[in-house]
Amino acid sequence: MLIQQILLKILYTFQQERTVSAAFHLLKGKRSGQTIHDVGLYNLYPFFGLLPKLTRQKFDEQIDLLFAKNAILIEENGYYSITEYGKQLAAQSLPISFDSWHYRGNEHLFFSRVSLIVQSLSHQLHQKNTFIPIERNEQIQQWVRQFLLRHQYQKQLLQQALHSEISVSLSMLTIEEKIKDLIIYRLSGYNEPGFTWQQLAFGYEMHEMDVQLLYISGLHAWLNELSHKSAQYPLLHDIMQNIRVEVLLTSSANATAKLYKVGRTIEEISQIRRLKINTIEDHIVEMAMNETNFSIEPFITIEEQQQVLAAVEDYGTKRLKTLKEILPHLSYFQLRLTLAKGAITT
Amino acid sequence: MNLQGALKQYFGYDTFRSGQEEIIGNILKGKDVVAILPTGMGKSLCYQLPGYLFQKPVLIVSPLLSLMQDQVDQLKQRGEKRVVALNSFLTMEQKKYALHFLQEYRFIFVSPEMLLQPQVKARIQEMELSLIVADEAHCISQWGFDFRPDYLRIGEVLPESNRPPILALSATATDSVLRDIKSYLNMDEPFQYMHTVNRENIHLVKKAFMNREEKIEWIIEHVKNTAGPGIIYTQSRAKAEAISLQLIQQNVAAAAYHAGKETQDRQFIQQQFLAGKLEWIVATNAFGMGIHKENVRQVIHETMPATLSNYMQEIGRAGRDGNSAVAFLLYCDGDEQFAKFIATEDLPKEVHIDRFMQTVAAGEHPESLYTKGELSEVVFRVLSYWLARESAEKVKSRMLDLQLKKFEEVELVLNLISHQECMRRQVVRYFGQELLEQQENCCTNCGIELSNLVQKRDASKTTVKMTNWQQRLDKLLARNL
Ligand SMILES: [Zn+2]
Repeated sequence: MLIQQILLKILYTFQQERTVSAAFHLLKGKRSGQTIHDVGLYNLYPFFGLLPKLTRQKFDEQIDLLFAKNAILIEENGYYSITEYGKQLAAQSLPISFDSWHYRGNEHLFFSRVSLIVQSLSHQLHQKNTFIPIERNEQIQQWVRQFLLRHQYQKQLLQQALHSEISVSLSMLTIEEKIKDLIIYRLSGYNEPGFTWQQLAFGYEMHEMDVQLLYISGLHAWLNELSHKSAQYPLLHDIMQNIRVEVLLTSSANATAKLYKVGRTIEEISQIRRLKINTIEDHIVEMAMNETNFSIEPFITIEEQQQVLAAVEDYGTKRLKTLKEILPHLSYFQLRLTLAKGAITT
Repeated sequence: MNLQGALKQYFGYDTFRSGQEEIIGNILKGKDVVAILPTGMGKSLCYQLPGYLFQKPVLIVSPLLSLMQDQVDQLKQRGEKRVVALNSFLTMEQKKYALHFLQEYRFIFVSPEMLLQPQVKARIQEMELSLIVADEAHCISQWGFDFRPDYLRIGEVLPESNRPPILALSATATDSVLRDIKSYLNMDEPFQYMHTVNRENIHLVKKAFMNREEKIEWIIEHVKNTAGPGIIYTQSRAKAEAISLQLIQQNVAAAAYHAGKETQDRQFIQQQFLAGKLEWIVATNAFGMGIHKENVRQVIHETMPATLSNYMQEIGRAGRDGNSAVAFLLYCDGDEQFAKFIATEDLPKEVHIDRFMQTVAAGEHPESLYTKGELSEVVFRVLSYWLARESAEKVKSRMLDLQLKKFEEVELVLNLISHQECMRRQVVRYFGQELLEQQENCCTNCGIELSNLVQKRDASKTTVKMTNWQQRLDKLLARNL
């Protein structure tokens, strides 16, 4: 199953330096310093917030299955190790790719808008003015109403324009055709109800959860196409308003970043914002992770950075505790900064 | 006032369905009304038409959120904009807005929980209403006793004097339920309309099996060879999934339908069923459906429902178009045990009551029991209600009574299987009515010939085929197709 393969990849990437819970938080897209930090450190951007609605129960079921398949061993404190067999599985490449870092579940909002717009236009095509909306959320309904008015749906030209944008943009994607089928089969229109996950899973002889993952990867690819060539797809680009996450820092880190950029020191920022030094340091690490041009030299010399990177290589670990033992003269903050920076540049 | 004219003007119908005119007439005279109408017999028109004749809002109290949403959708679909649903789905903002403009709406739907919130209660009490509707009124009794204490308390909100008429609506009600409805709603010598519960076009069949596996085998064979559309009721989500999967593997267009499904999937299933693209739905019987499909030909109960009320309500989804339909009740040893278990599962037990009292005695808030997961939400609500009014001993014996009552209800369903008396007669008697004539092909006990009632299935035209995405996109958005 795809979900297990993804899980195994994440666990493998963590190099057994995290608990299984870290993988859960990653998939849920938990906005905590530690999780965001892990994303950069281990370069797990594709999976951050992949399944915002994942329940702990479902997650644990999959972990149990990995255990039952002898791919991982669970230790009592929540840590784990990966068996040789598990490593082989983890090394296989995934048949699909994700870009969760930029969408974080918003792809579902995008699709809800598309669904309701298509449903409305399809009914209009058949002179049906009233129907039960496929999307119950009133905010989405409101948004779609505004969209239809903005684009003068009364002229009845929107159908063709949207059809052509969807058709052209999907054709451009290099993903498997069946993923495109999936996406379009989740839409509904007049006398054309959408397909349930059970039906799609049966059609493709796959698990429901895997079908959903294919669908998400398809949406990510589609959204990336739309955002790269926004001028070619004016309607769809309008529909993806506020879908792509461009502000990559947590809001608190953003506030810190503003102060830092006007020349405040960590201590000053801590006083102004009435936050602990530790917290401000977390924010600085987050900035180092997200901004390619961020210089960490004010905090750690190039020489010391090289020491850290050398230790990572020599001892084959990114575990902070171990690194601290090897390089006791450096602070945790300095170690984390270097690792965060390293994750971007290498 | 000419009711007929109003019906034509607001709804476009020429004639009333049975009961509607008398019910509405009495409401307009200011009388309280209890109306027992089967689902699909135009229940909602009984308050919707008065809504257009009165100049003040109609308040509809509805305990089942899915059905409430259903009513609201239908009204909106008819173009009615002055309708609002006050329920837990609203955000703070939306709720504030709705409460502020409450007097402007024509139809105000509210859940019992919401109605009891001080803010809402106060707002409603200061308003002038034209009519108060208690929808699914049997919940006041049947569930209200144990599961819906909030609904039982709506009497507290109703003004004692000078109030608008109350209309209690229900699809099913026995004598004792009727008594409860009238007393909890403080109704004033209400006009009572009871539609006959007997549905002549639904033919009743029972079938006994050696074990569960045989039942499933029979279902698969039967469904493969006879024509739907149909609904299979079963007791658990897992079973609904498993049966639907087996059917799909046999090329039957089937789908599982239960509370564990995503909202979107549930809508797809309903729409596919309505559009004739699905032959069978396999549903859990705990799950109410807002499906208004006229031509359901078969209903199969994989295992017995907990009450005859449920049985009637569920088989009542068949044959709404008036044509013949068949209801199969399957049985194997031990089914009644299972039904009893399900029926009393949510009931507060003695230990729960003791824990509740201990917590109160220790000076803690009993709500902690619920937040810690020791008590289910239902049990917590029920106990909060009763233990605030009666001693622990009394509540214990009340719960024990309730358990016995529920067991008796299950026994009555079992009688359909084990007794030789006409099944229809048994059911109708349960609702305090009498069967006037013996009909042909009545039930298994009277003798029944199925060959003319169940049609052969035409397997060639049913399964849903997937095409590629371009073709489907054309179907959705392209003209001239
Ligand atoms: Zn009979």
